[in-house]
Amino acid sequence: MAELATSLRRGTLEFCVLAMVEHEDRYGTEIVRRFGEEPNLAASEGTIYPLLSRLRRSGWLDTKWAESPSGPPRRYYALTSDGRSALEHFRSEWVSFRQTVDRLVGTGEAA
Amino acid sequence: MNTKNTDVVAEYLHEIDVRLAGLPVLQRRELLADLTAHIASEKAERNIQTEGELIEVLERLGSPEVVAAAAHEEFGPVAAAPVKRTIRWYWPAAAIAGVLLVLFVCFGLTFSRTSSDGPAQQEIAPVPTEVVPSPVRS
Repeated sequence: MAELATSLRRGTLEFCVLAMVEHEDRYGTEIVRRFGEEPNLAASEGTIYPLLSRLRRSGWLDTKWAESPSGPPRRYYALTSDGRSALEHFRSEWVSFRQTVDRLVGTGEAA
Repeated sequence: MNTKNTDVVAEYLHEIDVRLAGLPVLQRRELLADLTAHIASEKAERNIQTEGELIEVLERLGSPEVVAAAAHEEFGPVAAAPVKRTIRWYWPAAAIAGVLLVLFVCFGLTFSRTSSDGPAQQEIAPVPTEVVPSPVRS
């Protein structure tokens, strides 16, 4: 069962990350905590950082360090225009993908 | 208490660093910096005082094995290496199997030829002796 969750997470989690910074920049700990609250996505928090790093390297996220009002400096993540179009592309792919799976597996509303 | 806390964090980060061997140095440094910043902001924002609370922060991050495995999955040619190895193992096996197959086929053909030629010649052999004299008789 854990393996199924891992397979489902692979390939979708990164778009959840992109969506999280779609409207406002967020710092690492904030993003990671938010995922920690989702039982279905519950990966160990530390595994999100390598993912963030890859998304930055592939040009979908931009980062900058900023002072925090209270505490240590924070690393903020922002969606780039490439990241935005990747997210849009995922959205349309995901909808048709989900509909197909629902139809075949019998999990759709009509089923 | 503060030094104790730092010890736990330093030990945790070291355990991860050890497991990042083979990954590019910048990815390693980046991940360790991110984790350090994460732990520092958790400490500040959750007002963490005790080592027990700090250990909870580290447990939410995940064991060094889990975190390092995620890093290898995201960055690693190391993750691809086992796949290549299995492929490399398949090739000699396939080559040996192929050679064996060819040898079996060759042996099979030679045996079937000798075994089918043998009796055929023996069967045919009497025929010419009968056939050859017959035109002589006629």
